[in-house]
Amino acid sequence: MKYSFIKPKRKTPITPEVQIVFTFFFITLIMLFLTYAFLLYKDYTFAKDKTNISSQTQHLQVNIKKMQAQIDFIQKQKALSEKVFTKNMVLKDSISNLFDLVPQRITLSRAQLLKNGLILYGITPNKDVYSFMLQAPLRSIFHTSYTSFYPAKNGWLMFVSTNYMDKSQNEELDIEN
Amino acid sequence: MLDKILESLYLKVFVNIVVQRTKTVVYIELRSKKEIIEEETVEFNTTALNNEMYNFIVRYAKESPYYYISIVDCSAFQGALPTCEKNKFSDYKDLSTAQYKCFENKWVFYTSKNDIYELEKKYEDVGLDFIFSPFVILQNFFKDKINGNLAMYVLVQDGFISVSMFENSQLLYAEHLEVLTGDDTDDILLNDEMDENMDLDEGIDLEDIDVEENDIEDLDDFGDIEDLDALEDIDEFSQSKDVEEELQESLDTLPEAEEDESFNEDYQRFTLIQSAVAHFYKDEKYESHFIENVYISDCIGVTSDLKKYLEEEMFFNVYVRQADLAVEVCELAKMELGL
Repeated sequence: MKYSFIKPKRKTPITPEVQIVFTFFFITLIMLFLTYAFLLYKDYTFAKDKTNISSQTQHLQVNIKKMQAQIDFIQKQKALSEKVFTKNMVLKDSISNLFDLVPQRITLSRAQLLKNGLILYGITPNKDVYSFMLQAPLRSIFHTSYTSFYPAKNGWLMFVSTNYMDKSQNEELDIEN
Repeated sequence: MLDKILESLYLKVFVNIVVQRTKTVVYIELRSKKEIIEEETVEFNTTALNNEMYNFIVRYAKESPYYYISIVDCSAFQGALPTCEKNKFSDYKDLSTAQYKCFENKWVFYTSKNDIYELEKKYEDVGLDFIFSPFVILQNFFKDKINGNLAMYVLVQDGFISVSMFENSQLLYAEHLEVLTGDDTDDILLNDEMDENMDLDEGIDLEDIDVEENDIEDLDDFGDIEDLDALEDIDEFSQSKDVEEELQESLDTLPEAEEDESFNEDYQRFTLIQSAVAHFYKDEKYESHFIENVYISDCIGVTSDLKKYLEEEMFFNVYVRQADLAVEVCELAKMELGL
C-alpha cells in the first residue's frame, strides 16, 4: 500500500456461504462419481461373472449330455440285465419244470437245452413208463418229438429224446420275453 | 490467477467517506474495467455510522464482492515530515505512537495509531479498506504543480486545513490544523481577554523585558528593504505568477462572503495559514525559502475573503482550485488498486 495507512481486506466472491454450497456440490459430485465408479466396477464384475457362468453352463450342459448318455447306457444295461435275469429265471423255471416233469422211475443222465428244442438223455425201465410218464408232457410242450431207445446192460432202456418247437411259436415266446 | 479472472467479471464499488463537522458525505462509484457505471453522493446528518448510512453503504457493497471503503483520516495528531529516514524523525516529532508511511522515499506522512484503531472500530460494521492522509490527497490533487518551484499547498476541509510546502516534489513543511467552530473561537477569545486582564492587573515591568543585541542586529537588516524596491526584483515577482492557473481560476469565480460565520472561519483559516508560514520560516529544522505562490484545494467552498487576506496581508499569489474531496479519495483508492 503506497498511500493508505491500512491494507484493504481480501476481496473474493467466494463467500463462506458460497464455499458451503461449493463444498456441498463437490461432495455430491464425489459421491456421484464414486457411485458411478462402483456401478462400473459392479457392471464389470457382473459381466465377468456372466461370462464365467455362461462358460460353466456350457461345460455343464456338455457334462449333462455325457451323463445323459451314460444314464441311457446304464438304463439299457439295466434293462438288459433285467432281461437276462428274467431269461435266467424263466430258464431256471423251465429247467425246474423240466425236472419236475421227469418221473422218479426215469433217470436223466444228460439234458441239452437248445434255442428251439430240448435233447434229453437218460435211462428208463421200459418204453411204457417213458411213453406215459415223460413223452406225454413233452409232446404237450414241443411240436415235434423223436425218441430213440437202446438197451442198457442192466436190461433197462437208454433213451435219447429230441424235441423241437415250431419257429412261429418260438418267436412268440421271444416277444413275450 | 483465479482471483484475477473472477475480479474481471465483477464491477468494482468504491465507497468513499468524508466526515465533516456535523455531517458525513458518502460518495459511491460503481466502475467496470473501462468506465464508470454509476455514481452517487449522499450526505448524512451524522458523524458516526448510523443505520441509514450503514444501509446505504451495504446496499452498494452488495452489488459486488469487490467493494472498497475509503475514508479520510481526520486525526488531529496527523501530519507529514520532510524525511524518510527513521533516525531523523525524532528531530521533528516523536512518532513512537504513530503509524507512518513513506511517500516515494521523499517524505513521510503519519497519524496516531490509536486514532486509526478508533476509526476502524467506528466503522467495523462495514469495514474500512483504505485510510488516506489529507497530505497524500493534496499531493495527488496538485501533482501537476508540486514538482515545480516552491509553493504552499493548502487543503481546506470542513473543520480542518492541511498546509504543506513542496519544492520539486519534496515536502519541506506540513501541518494539519483544526478550524474551530464559532462557539470554540468565542471561548478562545474570552480566554485571551481574561489573560490580558490578568496581565493588566499585574502591570508591566519594563525591567523584565530583555532587549537582546541580536534583535537589534535583526532590525539592522531592514536596510535591505531598499533592495526589494529594485525593478528587477519586481519583474521576478511578476514572472513567478502561474498564468495557466489564473486563467483557470478566472472561470471559477469564488463566492462573495455573505455571513459572519463564513467570514469568521475564513479569517481563522487565514490566521492558521499565517501561523503555519511563520512556523515554517522561524523553525530552523525546516529548510525555509521564500514562498510566493499558494495553491488552495477548496473542498467546502471558501469565500473570496481568504484569497484576499492571503494576497493583501501576506503578498502571496493565491490560486484556488475547487475539489470534491470524496472524488479525490476515490481517485486514490483506484490508484492503490492500480486502476
